[in-house]
Amino acid sequence: MDPAHERELVERCRRGDEGAFQELVDRYKDLVFALIARTVQDRSRAEDLAQEVFLRIHRGLPYFRGEARLSTWIYRIVANVCVQDHARPAVAVAFDRVIVDPSVPDRQFGDLELRDRLEKAIARLPANYRLLVAAHYLRGIQYEELAEALQLPLGTVKTQLHRAKQQLRRLLETELR
Amino acid sequence: MFCDEALDSVEAIAAGELTPEGRIAAHLATCPNCAAALASARRLEQLLQARPVQQAPPQFTVRTMATLRRRRWRSEQFLDVGFNVALGLVALVVGAGIWMFVHRSGLVSVSNDAVNVVSANVVSLAHRIAPSVPLYAGATALVVTALGVWWWAERDAAL
Repeated sequence: MDPAHERELVERCRRGDEGAFQELVDRYKDLVFALIARTVQDRSRAEDLAQEVFLRIHRGLPYFRGEARLSTWIYRIVANVCVQDHARPAVAVAFDRVIVDPSVPDRQFGDLELRDRLEKAIARLPANYRLLVAAHYLRGIQYEELAEALQLPLGTVKTQLHRAKQQLRRLLETELR
Repeated sequence: MFCDEALDSVEAIAAGELTPEGRIAAHLATCPNCAAALASARRLEQLLQARPVQQAPPQFTVRTMATLRRRRWRSEQFLDVGFNVALGLVALVVGAGIWMFVHRSGLVSVSNDAVNVVSANVVSLAHRIAPSVPLYAGATALVVTALGVWWWAERDAAL
């Protein structure tokens, strides 16, 4: 979304325009849901948390000063909601209604078992690592935007992501060979 | 010792953020353990890039807007109740203040006389207008009926 349209949308939301907020939800729902679903790995819980994210956005919009991009601010809210939820026990991964991104070819690792093990290994990572892995590999979220959203230095984001991948490699040692 | 340095770089190399050069490239070409680690890192990178992207459920926006309206209605109800309770408390405090003021200032006897005069006048006024009460009641009923019919007709027109 171009910055002018984004500002106008935020302004309309602030004035209490319900249609504008509905447009905002429509625009960001897939990104927010995909990010949360990759972090909590339970579809119904992901929907509850995604709703919570949008309710917080609605409450917080009057205080959004526009210094960061709207998407960066939304990622920050997603990160807070996911980290606050991390105390809950992890639930088995559901593979129903999964849509594979057609831009990334599935190639040789098509077997569900390996994917299932990967999801289980990710579920064992600390909450902040899980979120980084989820966000970085979701199309369109760059290191810089992640660092701004999580209010961490760029170097820390890169280091934490490398550590997360090292942990995953150790957890999946036999499967990856 | 050199393996540690190479192993620290395999994630970055697999992600395409670092190109193996010089000593690291030579080591990766000769050390089977580090070469295997790089192969695993590359496979993991592919797996992570191929993770499925889940889309929001079809009714997500509708449900979110409904939840938003419900929460807003609840908070308004809460505000209304809070406002009414606060108003009641203020009225109670003001009433208690007036009552204490009247009692402490010796105005009770004066106000008793005033109450007697006012009640005698109200009773005599009631006696005088009693014969006309049915007329006033009929007129009021007619006005209310007319207003009701007008409201009903307007509501139907709006639909």
